[in-house]
Amino acid sequence: MPLIEVSNLSKRYSGVAALRDVTFSAESGEIHAIIGANGAGKSTLMNLLSGVTQPSGGTISLDGKAVRFSSPQAAQAAGIATVYQEFSLVPQLSVARNIFLGREPRSRFGLLDRARLAADTRDLLERYSIALDPAQEVGSLSVAEQQMVEIARALTYASRVLILDEPTAVLSLTEQENLFSIMRRLRDSGLLILFVSHRLEEVRRISDRMTVFRDGRNMDTRPTPGMTIADVVQLMIGRTQSVPPAPHLVPPDAERYTIDYATGQGVQRIDIRRGEILGIAGLVGAGRTTFARALAGNPVPGASVVAQVNGAALALGTPQEAIRSGIVYLTEDRKRDGIFAGLDLVANTTASALSDLAWRGIRNRRTERVRSRAMLERLQLVAASLDLPIGKLSGGNQQKVVLARALLTRPQLLICDEPTRGVDVGAKAEIYDLLCGIAAEGAAILVISSETEELLALSHRILTMHNRRFVAEMPVDQANENDILLAASGGTPAKEFS
Amino acid sequence: MTGSRIAGALSELRLDRHAVFLVLIAIYLAALTVSPAFADPAYLFNIIRQVTPVGIAAIGVTLVMVLGGVDLSIGAVISLTAVLCASVMGGDAANLPLAVGAACAAGLLVGLANGVLIAFSRVSPFILTLGMGVAVMGLTQLYTGGTAKGIVSPGFREFFNFRLAGSVPVLTLALLVLVCVGLAIEKTTVFGRRLFLIGSNRRTAVLSGLPVRAVTVAAYMLSGLFGALAGIALLARSGVSGTSAGQGLEFQVLAAVVLGGTTFEGGRGGIAGTLAGVFVLVIAFNLVNIGGLPYHMQLVFMGLIIILASALYGRLSERNG
Repeated sequence: MPLIEVSNLSKRYSGVAALRDVTFSAESGEIHAIIGANGAGKSTLMNLLSGVTQPSGGTISLDGKAVRFSSPQAAQAAGIATVYQEFSLVPQLSVARNIFLGREPRSRFGLLDRARLAADTRDLLERYSIALDPAQEVGSLSVAEQQMVEIARALTYASRVLILDEPTAVLSLTEQENLFSIMRRLRDSGLLILFVSHRLEEVRRISDRMTVFRDGRNMDTRPTPGMTIADVVQLMIGRTQSVPPAPHLVPPDAERYTIDYATGQGVQRIDIRRGEILGIAGLVGAGRTTFARALAGNPVPGASVVAQVNGAALALGTPQEAIRSGIVYLTEDRKRDGIFAGLDLVANTTASALSDLAWRGIRNRRTERVRSRAMLERLQLVAASLDLPIGKLSGGNQQKVVLARALLTRPQLLICDEPTRGVDVGAKAEIYDLLCGIAAEGAAILVISSETEELLALSHRILTMHNRRFVAEMPVDQANENDILLAASGGTPAKEFS
Repeated sequence: MTGSRIAGALSELRLDRHAVFLVLIAIYLAALTVSPAFADPAYLFNIIRQVTPVGIAAIGVTLVMVLGGVDLSIGAVISLTAVLCASVMGGDAANLPLAVGAACAAGLLVGLANGVLIAFSRVSPFILTLGMGVAVMGLTQLYTGGTAKGIVSPGFREFFNFRLAGSVPVLTLALLVLVCVGLAIEKTTVFGRRLFLIGSNRRTAVLSGLPVRAVTVAAYMLSGLFGALAGIALLARSGVSGTSAGQGLEFQVLAAVVLGGTTFEGGRGGIAGTLAGVFVLVIAFNLVNIGGLPYHMQLVFMGLIIILASALYGRLSERNG
């Protein structure tokens, strides 16, 4: 008997179907990948299984018995635990306190029983060979280690099913390997691991079976061995994947931005021409985002930028000034500072260009709607209505709205920080096309990405940062993944940065 | 299946946006069963007249709260501007323009101070406007020497309390006109839209190049200005310029705004809801009176409204995402 059996499951949000007649099953002792494009229904399924929302129809069975989870607590009590992309740790508390947060062992007087807490934590970590110090403060851990704390916490609940939502998005290669070996151990101990991901290469390596979603339906469940990536993409988007467009040629006489980046370690000069896509590679924490934000009018102490075009300095004191100077930054963290979650798509799209669309401070709603719709259609956004709050859209669609907001200001230099984070294969290809199109129309584009293949496919030139400095520069035809990774890790750069 | 269809229809209604109007209808029907007077337009206009100062002040406070702020100094502003208006007027109708101008300038000035301090420092609007309110109250006492000061000119009260067509007091009309002005600011201006954007996510607003500080200062100045107009309305309603005429009114204002669906988090709500909230409040107060309950029950009632409405809207918006 399958451990989890889902039949005819459906979920509607305000009348829009997010999940339709989904039927599949998963066994204990397997790593079962859940894959699909943005908006395909992965997150909805996960929320239903973990009790965050309740189905509109259909049933979920655990061990052959129908269950209905009214809350995440109910799902946890049944042995299903979820690790989300966003962590919910308390940075000031220790690893042990975080793992048992809210369920700390108590002494006779109701006080925290530190000895037992430490012992319980050590047992748990040893059982799954997780290398963490129970006493260490969580705020001082790396992202990968914090994720391990989240997983350890989930394991205290997960007697049957562990759901991992895009767990590798924040990890380096070796950290991924570590995660995978822990996942395999958990599987071998009899747990069912539902692995939600859109990184097909990983899915192919780690999963035993996969269920592919498209448009709220499950297309198929298949054993992973024997599937090629092309097969999976075919199932996900209903067609074969388009190859990213080859970068167009940059006119040699195009206007040139000269950017002087001053940090505590001195001043470095980089340049970028109109029509050029300049990739910036580097590990998480290399200082790419700090540089990008400083360039867009958000300097932090110890990192400042002076930018010129044709010898004239640009005003970059605030984001407002930077946008007026034609420089727009697209955040890597949409929820934090990319979207206005409760407001509709028109409000989100027009936010930066409100004055331009108005007449002497009086808004013209029709113009706002028409321009928003036109821009969103150009970005191939599929949404039921312009009146939906943006918070209800999938990550890829949110990214398109944020991009539309930037494009309405007619940027000359667009900075995209991780433009395809949390975005699936189908929408990724669309975003590549869009960025190439924007560059071809004469804008300069800076792309920051942790996915080296993305930079190799998209950029004309790639800079690599390490420890807050630019350490290597390579034209794309002389760049390769190895050299970039080497430079990013502080190894000898392939070509010394001038 | 019918169950889910009904649930779907309910969520289409966006309860978090329209709850206050349902409450208004319900409490009005309840009031009708208690007293047939509530069916008489003249009586209704009169009770709206009573609540005009609160209603006018609530317009400005709504704008500030949509922004994600709050203005607890509003009661003190009402007191200050009422007494300032009366004493500049000094019983002479010729001084009327100067008196109104002085009151408005004082309101704008307090708003400017609130706005600048909030826009350029990290102090919470709650604490800052609370402190500002205390300071303004002190200034008012210093200015008046602690006793009633100033005399309204002849005709001032009579004009505002004159009943057009025998039933609509000018004061009530003034409230409705100012509500329309507020609605126009909220719905049709770039400034109004920016209030919602900044209230929804300040960080995104900064990164999107919105003039966050300028909008913040302007919103608090508008709150001060509407506070001043509320002070003048209070003076017109009562004719008496005590030194603490507006004391405690900030809580009525807050209750009305929160009841109307504008939450402390900002980014949602609006003046239409606030007006409905004001009406709910005044009908409830009248019911308390008619029921023969002690006046101070109104305070208990108001406190409960602020708590309950905040909790309820929190839940509703969570559900609607």
